[in-house]
Amino acid sequence: MTLLDQRPRVRVPDEHDFTSWLRSPAVTARVGLWLGVAFGIAFVTGVISHWGQTPHPWLPFPSSPSWGYRVTQGLHVASGSAAVPLLLVKLWTVFPKLLARPPRALGDLLVHGLERVSIAVLVASAIFQLATGLANVAQWYPWHFHFRATHYAVAWVAVGALLVHVMVKLPLIRAALGSDLDSRAHDRRGAADGPGVLTRRALLRTTWAAAGVAVLTTAGASVPWLRRISVLGVRSGHGPGGVPVNHTAAERAVVAAATSAAYRVVVAYGGREASYSLADLRAMPQTTASLPIACVEGWSAGATWTGVRLRDLLALVGAPADSDVLVRSLQRAGGERYSYVAPNLASHPQTLLALRLHGESLSLDHGFPCRLIAPDRPGVLQTKWVGRLEVSS
Amino acid sequence: MTIPRALLGLAGLTAAGYGVVRLLALGLTNLGATVEWLVAGVVLHDAVFAPLVIGAGLLTARWAPARLRAPATVALVVLVPVTLVGLPELGRFGADPRNATLLDRHYWMGWLALVTLVVVMVAAGAVWGSVRGRHGRRRSRWHA
Repeated sequence: MTLLDQRPRVRVPDEHDFTSWLRSPAVTARVGLWLGVAFGIAFVTGVISHWGQTPHPWLPFPSSPSWGYRVTQGLHVASGSAAVPLLLVKLWTVFPKLLARPPRALGDLLVHGLERVSIAVLVASAIFQLATGLANVAQWYPWHFHFRATHYAVAWVAVGALLVHVMVKLPLIRAALGSDLDSRAHDRRGAADGPGVLTRRALLRTTWAAAGVAVLTTAGASVPWLRRISVLGVRSGHGPGGVPVNHTAAERAVVAAATSAAYRVVVAYGGREASYSLADLRAMPQTTASLPIACVEGWSAGATWTGVRLRDLLALVGAPADSDVLVRSLQRAGGERYSYVAPNLASHPQTLLALRLHGESLSLDHGFPCRLIAPDRPGVLQTKWVGRLEVSS
Repeated sequence: MTIPRALLGLAGLTAAGYGVVRLLALGLTNLGATVEWLVAGVVLHDAVFAPLVIGAGLLTARWAPARLRAPATVALVVLVPVTLVGLPELGRFGADPRNATLLDRHYWMGWLALVTLVVVMVAAGAVWGSVRGRHGRRRSRWHA
């Protein structure tokens, strides 16, 4: 453990006051490697999620495998959770650097300053991403910025700062990873020459265990067999029809419109409109599909849906199956009040206006009278309480 | 500097630059709120969390019995980060009385169970290590 020098006068400790043998590049590089892996997974899956939520992307988001988004978004939250202990331990191992005195020579000072700025950006963006992501998972928004757009922009800053950091440290990283964990070759001046409270191996094992516990206690929100042990999971899988609800009918103020006898779903195409009552929809050929609902906040659940194929409805108004469809909800508020269905999904045989969930009539909170459900699609785009389909080819 | 390293740096600057452009495109109000949180995160870590950890280390080194230091450190390295991960659930800050399926567990009970489990496992590990140490086959697992 750390022991600061005992001096009679109080002063700000500097780099060399920290003597722990654990604060070594040998440890930092190993924790940093896995932290980099965690951030890499979170970044790639985050870009996938951004792609999936972009209306009219230049490259259509794939419709298979149907569980693809469930896996990538589950991984996104799991890698972010695992990154918390990794980041805290890594920052602990390099904390003395924060107190290093700047060099005197102007040239060195400039390089030192630039490196400090790059590390400040890296640490700030890394903490920002983990804090905002974990709060978002629990639908807690204590800030005034737009979450999705900001989390995505800062992700690019974080990954950029990470690449610059790896570039700067590459020789040290390679040397540290290439030598023994107990090597003192790269240690700071003043560091102890042997273990104190913990060995380096014990600290690493503890850190991996902490990352594992962070994942296991939260991942039950997307991995059903972990539900019982995920004591910090944001959802335990309960809900109407055995499926959780992201926003209820009451929250979105659609109860009256959704239960009204005058309810119709309107299909508009080329200046022509047709409207169908719930009884009309029920009388149409029904299709059953097993498709997960996978929320952008990371939780997911498998479900069996029954309803009318979207392409059958398009055919009724004479629109081609591979049309662009704008799906509008009865709800007036909330980012999920409309969504676009790309041609590859509109023509997909499993893209449904679902009327039933697990064989029972859809509950109000799941989108009664009907909701959109399509394969491999972020939950925020599985529009509920569908009121209108605007088709363009 | 080698070419791969230079490319790494160039890719990094490009990615970060793209992120900054996207941030700026969200408008000044959004940027202000974002910078507030970026700075607050670093200050909370460097000026509050890290000194607390160092203080805890000093207290452990000075006051904790020698045989408790390693198990206590291991338990804290596991439990403190996991507790931070679970703060939004433990505080139920995002709960909405209209949605019973969100934050639908007894989080503090689960957390207490987790703490108990980790403490029991670490204690068992420490006892096992000292028993093995006493028999002279190997030193404690923390010092192996």
